[in-house]
Amino acid sequence: MASRVLLQCVRSLGRPSLRLSSANLAVRAAAAPAAAHRPLSFAADSRRPRWLGRSPIPSVGVLCRQYGDLPPLTLETIKDRVMYVLKLYDKINPEKVKLQTSSHFMKDLGLDSLDQVEIIMAMEDEFGFEIPDAEAEKLMSPAEIVQYIADKKDVYE
Amino acid sequence: MTISRLPTAALSLKQFLQRQRILGIYRNMLKTIRQVPSEGDRKYLRDWARDEFKRNKSATNPDAIRMMVSQANNHLEELQKSLALARS
Repeated sequence: MASRVLLQCVRSLGRPSLRLSSANLAVRAAAAPAAAHRPLSFAADSRRPRWLGRSPIPSVGVLCRQYGDLPPLTLETIKDRVMYVLKLYDKINPEKVKLQTSSHFMKDLGLDSLDQVEIIMAMEDEFGFEIPDAEAEKLMSPAEIVQYIADKKDVYE
Repeated sequence: MTISRLPTAALSLKQFLQRQRILGIYRNMLKTIRQVPSEGDRKYLRDWARDEFKRNKSATNPDAIRMMVSQANNHLEELQKSLALARS
């Protein structure tokens, strides 16, 4: 029972390597159909020492696909990126006013609506997605921006 | 005052709509400027747009405001047309 399970595991891992390696016709014919249990298990048996002799990593690498993607977003990373973009903004003077997530653009930081538009555009650039006008004009503090982006990108904590 | 710094005084509906329209024009302008190929040109245009809008921020004469709005629209169209030409 355990040996049959082990053989199945080896067969599933060993099948691509069987195809890759210059196998004879019998083994190839055995490797192609999925239902050929017995000849394949014997082939896997006979091939197994040789297969284990080589590094098993390439054969597993053939099985799994690799996709490129950005690292997953968390509330922390969103907050850090939002604060970083705001720090780069030249209208906000860091010495005069302390920048916190709860600081209101207009009331605390003394910015006006044109600056707020620029800030939202910078956020669009940073996170790579469009923020429609109707919702953009309501975002008046970094905390609200973080909340909005988290809602849009389905980031839960 | 159309683009007011703080929403202290309640704006009339027309003024409110005008304010939203102007902010929309500013947004579209920034988005169009984003498509300009060279970075130096982009910075120059962004500063120019910002200065223009800020300079006329406190205008109160409604005719002057309307004239400035149509001017801004013309600039925006011009920019979009030249970008389209440059791309083709």
